[in-house]
Amino acid sequence: MKNAKLKIGLIAIASLGMMWGGATAFAAGEKRCTAGGQKVECPTITEKEAEAASAAFLKEGHDMEEGKGGSTYGIAPFDYLTGVGKRGAEAAKGAKAGTYKGESGYGSNAKASLKTELWDRVKAPKSDGVKDKSVYDQWSGNWSPTFGATLVAGADPTQGKNYYYSYCIACHGWLMHGDGPSASELNPRPRTLTRGDYMQKKTNLELFTVIKGGGEAVSLSSSMPNWGNVLQDQDIWNIVAFIRAMQDVPPPKSVAEYLNPKSTFKPIPGDVDALTASTNKDFQEAQEMIESDMTGRAPGSELVGGGFVEGGNRKKPSEVAVKVAK
Amino acid sequence: MQGKNKLFIAVALSASCLMSGAANAAAADKSLAIPGWQHAVKDGMDTPTIDPMLLYSSGGVDGKMAIIGLPSFKTYRHIDCGVDTHEISFGGSNKGNKNGTPDGKYVYLNDKGANTICEFDIQTGYLARVIALPFPFGVHHIALSTDGKSLFGTGEYSGKMAKVDIKTGKTEVIDWGPAPSAPDYIDASRDGKYVFAGNYYHSTVGVFSTSPFKLIKEIPVGKNPHGTDVIPESTLVLVSDKLSATMTIIDTKTLAVKKVLPTCAGPLHSVMDVYNKAGGSYRAGIDSPEGLTSKYAYESCFVADANVKISLSKLEVVDEIPTHYRTGHISISADNSYVMALNKFSTGLFSPTGIVFPVNFEMWDAREKSPTYGKTLRIMPVDGEPHNAKSLMSYLVKDWTKGEAEQGGLITGRTDLLDPPHRAFSKRYFIPKETTPPGVKLVDGVKEIHMKAFSYGYIPRQVRVNKGDKVRLFATNIDKASGITKNPDVTMGLTIYGPYGQRSNMDLPRGVTAVHEFTADIAGEYEIFCTHFCGPLHLEMRAAFFVDDPKKGPSNLAVGDYEHAQTLPGLLEEGQLTVAERVKGL
Repeated sequence: MKNAKLKIGLIAIASLGMMWGGATAFAAGEKRCTAGGQKVECPTITEKEAEAASAAFLKEGHDMEEGKGGSTYGIAPFDYLTGVGKRGAEAAKGAKAGTYKGESGYGSNAKASLKTELWDRVKAPKSDGVKDKSVYDQWSGNWSPTFGATLVAGADPTQGKNYYYSYCIACHGWLMHGDGPSASELNPRPRTLTRGDYMQKKTNLELFTVIKGGGEAVSLSSSMPNWGNVLQDQDIWNIVAFIRAMQDVPPPKSVAEYLNPKSTFKPIPGDVDALTASTNKDFQEAQEMIESDMTGRAPGSELVGGGFVEGGNRKKPSEVAVKVAK
Repeated sequence: MQGKNKLFIAVALSASCLMSGAANAAAADKSLAIPGWQHAVKDGMDTPTIDPMLLYSSGGVDGKMAIIGLPSFKTYRHIDCGVDTHEISFGGSNKGNKNGTPDGKYVYLNDKGANTICEFDIQTGYLARVIALPFPFGVHHIALSTDGKSLFGTGEYSGKMAKVDIKTGKTEVIDWGPAPSAPDYIDASRDGKYVFAGNYYHSTVGVFSTSPFKLIKEIPVGKNPHGTDVIPESTLVLVSDKLSATMTIIDTKTLAVKKVLPTCAGPLHSVMDVYNKAGGSYRAGIDSPEGLTSKYAYESCFVADANVKISLSKLEVVDEIPTHYRTGHISISADNSYVMALNKFSTGLFSPTGIVFPVNFEMWDAREKSPTYGKTLRIMPVDGEPHNAKSLMSYLVKDWTKGEAEQGGLITGRTDLLDPPHRAFSKRYFIPKETTPPGVKLVDGVKEIHMKAFSYGYIPRQVRVNKGDKVRLFATNIDKASGITKNPDVTMGLTIYGPYGQRSNMDLPRGVTAVHEFTADIAGEYEIFCTHFCGPLHLEMRAAFFVDDPKKGPSNLAVGDYEHAQTLPGLLEEGQLTVAERVKGL
């Protein structure tokens, strides 16, 4: 049964790989992006790849509506690793694979276990959550990478990953290739955030600022919204750490590889990070400008921005326990 | 497409009757065969015409409240309220479970789109009064106080909290910083001491004392919490940690976390059953509202397409019921028999009636000794995008239809029967899907705003126009699927809350662009939000509309024509509208 499960997972991951096309095939476009002071080609998927990704999402939608298709949610590692796709006992044996009827607890499949949830299938958390709050990350940790080290001091890539999957995947895609469901609708296309030749030249200050203030804050696409009125600064630092942790990570060939990405990023000398942000003048100036007209602020009240609130396993930079990778 | 639908819902009563009827007809004479779908169910097998319970449902984006029979699932009527309605709360007391202990007089419904609270007279079945809340606020949810005299409200779009005196409308507003701050779901303890509210940007639950009304502490919980529900005993608060797949259980005595329970993917809300002192189901108006207890909580799981059942004595998950699909809110019948999953997606389930696909209510049998326990009894497409529903026993609504009102007691003075116009002062239409880049540009003296909606956000996130500008707002849903849950039938919404609520309130189905034209004549910062529950981070799908008055400078939460906005100009007359006066120390 273990082998059958692994097989489903591999098929699912392979099909995900096909969706974004060849990971190394990028368009030869004009050099209108800037990295390290140089004009470079923008790291995005090609027109053809965008069309292919779009067609794949449309097909998934139709399959879902008609009740066929191997993946309830269309996101294979998520479905496979969580068990959220309601795979019944028969599906685990490989019977009727590829249809909801066999794969899920839905419908007339009387033998389906009707077990619908991940906690029945993966190890139950040991913590009762009162002192050890790791239970809050266990669900996402069951289906996506957990990082033991960080490339951005004071920021936790595992925490950033959780918000990336919530807010960023619609455009930047499940594996940061700039091929999310909405990518084909945007011009210019969302960045491929794994491209080392580009991302290695982008400073933390630039990444932080574009996330917090949106594309227009750094004279880039207005299609990148500002997230500073959604996320606290520490959440944004955590996302920067996650992006750094995924540099040049290739499409995974196995579940194990998917769960253990190896980044090529080397911290840029003199760059600001979460630990030094509060004393970095360039960083402070850039953020003040962005904050000045942001929503949800009321001058003279408690509703000012840039604060820190502990919650959802958010930690202050000085309390982030994850070590800096050497 | 519909014919290939492989989904069979276990409809307990009617399915077997339909099938046997069809078989008999076929055996008698093939030429006289009647299609199975033309057969009526046998006498006595249909649902009752008199419903022992009623479900008051907040219609969400249709701006109405629906009254639905239980268990028949027949919709009796829709009553207009405003723009985008959210939380239902029966007058009486908040004791008991989420249905409260209703006195049968009024039911309150907050309108997130208009920043108001609608008061309906349960006996006449009409809207009686609108309480217009101060700006800036953005009321997400309301909760009744234990004495029934106040409503507490969360200001999702301003990071504020409010306490409203129902009778006078006097309102105390307090800040809950720092920004970004989004108080959303709220409940009050049954002893009158505390109010608990989740804050999805802080990932905390705020504890507020009711008198004086102030923040006591913030309790860190899981990621982006939503439902924050107090159990009838008032000893525990159940918090649905949306992005952590857990339930944080807070002890109301210590105001600290007691346990974190893994429950399900995308948990959103909880309801509980409720029993009287003798152990029977609580009966409003008959049983004492004191000493009520509960056995189980039911939590909705959006991502997992399920409801989980939690034993409140063991504090563990004891059962799990599949639902169809993406349960958002969850409701329990007044007699504890049925749980209603208010499902946000009906992917592949019903006949299309236009470009916006319906959401549905699914009723499953919660009676443990019933042969159909855990099965879906009924599933019904519904109007609008219902946000929550609460149930009461039908006997609380008297039969006034045969002249009983002549005996007196129905009304004692002028009773306004309001029918507030919504979507006023704007022109609205669809055009073929446009590809204009997002942003604002001036075209023939009109500010054209081009916005794109995706899972989960808007581009641009902030829009600024000047007071007096003519605005033409183009909004396009660029989703191909609803974020991580991938439902293809994803409809987005776009409403600018407050004075522009009536003028915006756009539906954004896939494939077309919605256009609304109006004049931006009231200055201020007004949040834009999604009115169709598009995915687990639907609530976080927000943007902001700034109308700047050149005389006052850029608008923000402190600068704007907020007093004028609160009067809902042009919509209601004096007497119909209670303009909530802002006070300190209510």
